[in-house]
Order: sequence, then C-alpha cells, then structure tokens
Amino acid sequence: MGFAVTPEFLLVFSVMAPFMGALVAPYLGSWLKARAGYPLILCFVPTLFLIPYAPAARSNVPLEAGFDWVSAIGLRVDFRADGFSLMFSLIVAAIGILILAYAAAYLGKTERHGRFYSYLLSFGGAMLGLVLADNLIALFAFWELTSISSFLLIGFWGSRKASQDGAEKALVITALGGLALLVAVILLSIAGGTQQISELDLATLRSSPLFIPALVLLLIAAFTKSAQLPFHLWLPTAMEAPTPVSAFLHSATMVKAGVILVAKFGFLLDWGVFSLVIMYVGLATMFWGSYLALRQNDLKALLAYSTVSQLGILMSLYGSGHAFAATAHLVNHAAFKAALFMVVGIIDHETGSRDISKLSGLRRKLPLTFIVALPAALSMAGLPIFGGFISKELFYEGMVHEGFLPILIAVTGSIMTFAYSLRFLKVFFGPFRCENPNVHEASYRLWLPAAPLSLAVIAFGILKINPLKGLTFKSDTLAVWFTGLAAPSFGYEAEHLYLWHGFNLALGLSVLTWVLGVLLHLGRDRFHRVQQALTPAWNNNTIYYKSLAGLEHFSSWFTHKTQGASFATHLRIIVATFGLIGATVLWRYWPAQLTGVPLAFWLVALLILADVVGVLSATNRLSAIIFAGLAGVASTLLFVLLSAPDLALTQLLIETVTIILFLSVFRFLPRLSTYLRPRSLTLLDGLISLGVAATLFTTLVAVQTPIADRIKDFYLDYSKSIGGGYNVVNVILVDFRGYDTMGEITVLSIVAISVFALLKIAVKRAKAESQDDQIS
Amino acid sequence: MELLLPLLAALLVGAGVFMVLSRALIRVILGLSLISYGINIAILLAGAGTGLAAPPLLDVEGPYVDPLPQALILTAIVIGFGTTALLLVLSLRAYQATGTDHVQEMTEKPDPVEVLGSYADPERPSISPEFGPEEKLSDTKEPS
Repeated sequence: MGFAVTPEFLLVFSVMAPFMGALVAPYLGSWLKARAGYPLILCFVPTLFLIPYAPAARSNVPLEAGFDWVSAIGLRVDFRADGFSLMFSLIVAAIGILILAYAAAYLGKTERHGRFYSYLLSFGGAMLGLVLADNLIALFAFWELTSISSFLLIGFWGSRKASQDGAEKALVITALGGLALLVAVILLSIAGGTQQISELDLATLRSSPLFIPALVLLLIAAFTKSAQLPFHLWLPTAMEAPTPVSAFLHSATMVKAGVILVAKFGFLLDWGVFSLVIMYVGLATMFWGSYLALRQNDLKALLAYSTVSQLGILMSLYGSGHAFAATAHLVNHAAFKAALFMVVGIIDHETGSRDISKLSGLRRKLPLTFIVALPAALSMAGLPIFGGFISKELFYEGMVHEGFLPILIAVTGSIMTFAYSLRFLKVFFGPFRCENPNVHEASYRLWLPAAPLSLAVIAFGILKINPLKGLTFKSDTLAVWFTGLAAPSFGYEAEHLYLWHGFNLALGLSVLTWVLGVLLHLGRDRFHRVQQALTPAWNNNTIYYKSLAGLEHFSSWFTHKTQGASFATHLRIIVATFGLIGATVLWRYWPAQLTGVPLAFWLVALLILADVVGVLSATNRLSAIIFAGLAGVASTLLFVLLSAPDLALTQLLIETVTIILFLSVFRFLPRLSTYLRPRSLTLLDGLISLGVAATLFTTLVAVQTPIADRIKDFYLDYSKSIGGGYNVVNVILVDFRGYDTMGEITVLSIVAISVFALLKIAVKRAKAESQDDQIS
Repeated sequence: MELLLPLLAALLVGAGVFMVLSRALIRVILGLSLISYGINIAILLAGAGTGLAAPPLLDVEGPYVDPLPQALILTAIVIGFGTTALLLVLSLRAYQATGTDHVQEMTEKPDPVEVLGSYADPERPSISPEFGPEEKLSDTKEPS
C-alpha cells in the first residue's frame, strides 16, 4: 500500500491539520493541561513544508488544489498558494507555532486548556484557509470561521461581564462585515461568471452593473475586519482575550484579513475613487489610532490602539497601490507586534499589572524580557537597523507621491507612533517600581517563543542595509525573500527597488519624526492634559452602546405593539377574518333542501345539537367533559351511517381513551370557573362563531363535488393486488401512505413521552401541595 | 341531506370556536375537541359527498364510497387525540404554575429589556484571573 504525499494533498492538508488538531485538543488539554500546546505545534508544521514550493510561486506557477464541497450546487473549495498567499500562510504558521509554545507556558493551571487550544487551532485552520482560498464562497466561509473563533477566544473568560461584552462587540461588527462580504462574493461571482478568484477578469466585471455595489460591500467587509475607522472600536475591547490570543489573532493575523482582502482584490479596487477612499480611511485610522494609543496607561490597550494605527498604514498603502511597501510593513508588523504582545503577557504574568504609571525599571528584574522587547519596540518606532525603519521609509516614500495631505497625516501619525513606542519602553527604564516586590525573570518557556520574532525584526533590518553586502537588495536576504515571494501577486519587481534612498525627502521626514517624537515624549504630561481636556462626551463606543440599547428597546416596543395583545384577541382576529369570508357569500348558497334525509341522520343531528347545548351551558367540569365526549360518540354514529366503519371504530376508541385521560387528571383540574364575559364580548364571540360556522357551511355546500374518481378508483382497484388487503382504508394507511402513518406514530410517541413527563411533574406537585395543606 | 350534514359540521365548529374564545382553560380544551369533530365530518363530506354507498371493504358488494378521505380523517382523529392530550397536561401544568385557569391572566408579559451591566473598557482590558488582581467572578464558571 503505497501512499504518496502529493503537493496538492500537502496544500489541502496544511489547512486541514489545525482543524484536526482542534478535534484532538480537548482530550490533550484534559491530559496535558497547558502543556498540550507543545504537541499541538505539529498542526502548523505541514504549512512549513510548503516552503519548497516558494520558488514556483515566485515564478508565478503557484501550487493549486481543491475538492468538491457540495457538488450538487457546484460548490468547491479551492486553494492556491500564490506568492502573497504562501507568504502570509507562512507567517500564520510560524507565529502560530510560537504562540502555541508561549500559551503552553502562559496559561494558568485552572484554565480550560482543551477548549482554549481547540478554539485557537480552529482559528489557525480558518486563517490559513482564508489566505489560501481561491474560491469566493470558500473565502467567505473561512472568513466567518475566523470571526467565530475570534468571538470564542475573546469571550474565553466568559464569566466576566467585560469579556462577554468585548466578544459580543467583536462579533456584531465583524459579522456585519461578514454579511457584506457574503453579498459581495455572490455579486462578484455573478458578475464575473466564476467563483475562482484567480479567474476573475477585470474587463468582464467592469461591464457589469453589479461591479460597483460588490466593491462597496467588499470594502465594508475589509474595514470592519481590519478595524478601520469608524469600525475600529471592536479591536481594543477584543483585548479581553488572553494575551496569547491578542498576539496571534488581534495583532499579527486575523485583523489583517481585511487588508488581505484589499490586497487580493487590489486589481479590482485599483482605480479612481476607491483607491482614494481606502487610502484616506487608512490614514485617518492610522492617525486616530496612534493618537489614542498615546493616551493609554495600560500596556495592552496601548498595543491595541497601536495595532489599529498600523492596520491603517497597511490599508492606505495597499489602497493606493504601494503593494511592495505594504507587504514589507505587513511582515515587519506581524513580527514586532506579536513579540510586543508576548512581552506584555510576560509582564502581566510576572507582575500582575500592566499599568504604565505603576511599573518602571523592569529592566533590572526582567533583563531577558527587556532584550526581547527592545528591538521590537524600536522597530515599531521606526528606528534604523530594525525592520520597521525600512517599511516606514517606504511608507513615507509612497505617501510623498500621493500629495501633501497624505504625507502630513503620515508624519504626524508616525511622530505619535514614535512617542508611544518610547512610552511602552518606559516601563523598563528608571528606578524599579512595582506593586509586587517579588518580581523575577520569567521562565525561558515564556520569553523563548518571543525571541525568534525579535531576531527577525533585527534580521529584517540589518540584512537589508548591511554595508558589507552593498546597499541594494540581495535576493538571498530574509526580508527580500518574504517580500519578493509576494511579488508576482502584485506585479511589482523587488529587484528594482533600492534600499538606500540617499539623503532624500523620506529620510529627512524620518529625522523630523524622531526629533518631534522625542519632544512629544518629553512633553507627554502636558500633552496628556490636552488629551484629557479634549475627550469628547461621546465617541463611537457610546454610539455603539446607545444604538444597541435602542435596538433592544425598539424590538421590545415592536413586539409589544404587534404581539402584545392577549391570546384571545389574536384568536378573535384570526377566526373573525375566517368568519367574515363565509358570512359575505352565505346568501348565494341557501337553497332549502332538508327533505329526504333518513330518520337516522335526524336522530344523530338531534344528539349532536343536544350535546353542543349541553357543553355550552355546563356549569361543572364533569358534565362539560361528558357532553363533549357524547358529541364524539355522536360523530361515531355519523361515521357508521356514512359507511366509514374504520373511522367509527377509531373515534370510539379515541373517545374512550380521552375520557380516561380526562378523568385520570380530573381531581387536579381547575373547577369550571364561570368567568363570564362582558355581554358585549359574548355577543362579539357569538357573532364570530356564527361567522366561522357560516363559512364552513358555505364551503361545504359549495365544494360538494367528489374528488376525481380516478384517485378513488386507483385505491379500490389496486388495494388488493398491490397492498394485499380488502380493507381499502387500512391499506392506504399502512401501505400506500405508509410514511404518513410512520410520521403520525412518531408524533404520537413524542406526545406520549411529553404527556408522561408533564403528568409526572403535575401529579408530584399536586401531591406536595395537598400535603402542605394538611400540615398547615 | 346535502344541507343537514354541513349544518352539523358548522354547528360543532361554531360551538367549538365560541368555547375556545372563552376564558376558562377547560372550555378551551373541550372547544378544540368540538372543532376537530366538526372538521372531521367536513372532510368526509367535502371528499366523499353524501351519496350513500357501501363501505370500502372489498369483500362486500360495491359501489364503494371514496376511501381516501376516510384514511385522512383516521389520521386526523389520532393526531387530534394527541393534541388534546398534550394540551390537557400542559394546561394542567400551566394552571399549577400560574395558579389560575383564566386564560387572559396567563398572558405572557414581554421580557423586560436587560440593562447592560459593566461594559468592556477599551482602556483597561482584563488580566488573566490567575495572576491579575483578584476579582469577583460570577457563578457561570464551569467546574474544571
């Protein structure tokens, strides 16, 4: 039995492996507790085996694989490891591995480990699927899966009100975007005539009137997922998630999904007003995010707003067509931001606090953590020799091309970015201060997973501007390997971009940024007071909560108005409508034809009339039940007269059982209260009842034409030959319409179980009450 | 004949509706029974007419009445019993739970709008319960 691992299988398997891990994780979690993270690393390893296919992707012959999903409606799942997708899935897998190792040390003893790893791995699989998907519907499915796993992870400490709220907010906003994406992909597949993303053709799409709506919806999806203004509010509260989750989902990978969407569909968006919208939304987000990051006192909140800001940079770069700069920054940001989140996790793990105003001098107690944090934070600030510098330069260069306003916003935002990066590092400098005096360096199991990311941050920078290797790109450096990999996806040529720009505008702006950034950092107290004074009374969080509460009030009001009336009123409206129909056409069918009726029918009619009068006028429950039962018996007689012996038998049996049932609970039943209706209501109900009766009567008189004889003849003819029985009614029930009867038996069994259960409770309750009565 | 049986069906259904509209629980249940008697007769008439013929038993001489409505009604009778039985015990429980058999007084009131408690503070995310400051957790925490 030979089993060859084909490249196609490997591609599909690399997406499926985390999902498989998610199934195993609950068992591993209850066995190995937090350390289950170590074996689960294996789930991301298949993705790394895709590295050998990178050269093919670079030369634009990507690996493709797929399988039928729901073949009946033509749904497929297709994956395509083009340069950009492969690059990002390697980032997802690499950070995923580090996060699993980190979480294994970070999670406490009493957490629900299995659940945590299960959610985390489902996210990993969904993210890989989202990145690699080459099918619009599959893309949407994976997109929604990331939203759901993100929801579950944010609400991981679900016993907290804050976690519930943060999870709910993230779900409400990203699901809104998900709906937009669903419509967008459907419109795109209709307009483009294909569900394959790689086969979408711009010319065909542009000729379709659905093109513009599809793009608008696509943008809404991208902006909500990547926390762009005004949808950014969900990201800071997503920090309610455990810190490993924040490092993985809410900084390095999932929040980039919107950016990826813009990047993947960039060829559609790259024209006119859409580019401008994306660029300015991105820049506004970048500015506002860094402004808010600067006022944070919580390290994690600072990083959250910083992520919002950095996503703005990515969005504006991809939107304005600077895909190379964007991709370079994407890689850099994933590395330094994940590292910084892990550092924050170490700090709160060791000190029990994340408050910048209460922590300082941690460098002395957490030297290794400090060494890990320093390059990452400086890269975030955009200082040279670190990767962040390179991509910031590219960002400036791109924005310079776009005009004065974009570069102004970019520089202002970057000054604040520089200042908050210094503010972040402040906790390591100065005299040691911490509420918990027994702080000591974290276990290597915590800082070691963060270290490779910090090394990468340095490698991205140094390898690029190493003077010994020359100042142009060498295709063998790590950063170029990553960004060059994505080259065919965007059609840029990495080789033609020079790293050292000379003393040009971008470098000048960088120097300006550093100087003003340092000044801003020194004058931070004054700036804080200004920020506090400028805090508006409302922001989009208050709008969110107000509209949520408003929605609840509206639904409550609406339900009350439309469904609030009593049961009887609803019923009256329904039956009165029914009655009105008949009452209006009654006169057409009123020929007096009561002659020639056999005596037996008259007797039964009399009996039924008596019973009805008896039930209506009964004053105690026993006589009411008996009169109703007698009406049943009367209809049994009618069945006999109408040549329906089976019906008569059944009705008689059922009547008996019903009476038994009534009598068995008789003593628990309420007495037949009179509850006399007001006279006007009695009149109304009487009229309604008469109307209903009239409708039924009219209908019956009007439709007294037998059903087409051939149906009747079919059953009469074939009952014996096919069904093998003389009693045609029985043959129909158990043979011709056997499935109906099976359904009926099922219903009856369910009823029997329910009746038994309810009766048991009722009797027990009644007995308890009667005992109470005796005691008291 | 063409009119008597429709009249009977209409009488049963009309009386049933009148009782269902009443305010006492037992009347509602019995009213539903009356309606189902009436409707059964109605189906029989609508399908088979009132012409007298032999029952659809092939060992007696034809012509036979139409067997199909009979089969339908047989199902309806049995399901009707199921409905009545379930309704009876449900009413019994409702009577016990609410202490009244007055249908209107059992009317469900819409849930009050829940006043949202504490919100997630974007400027102060929670720390892991294991090493952050102590805080009260609600009782939804599952046993590990």
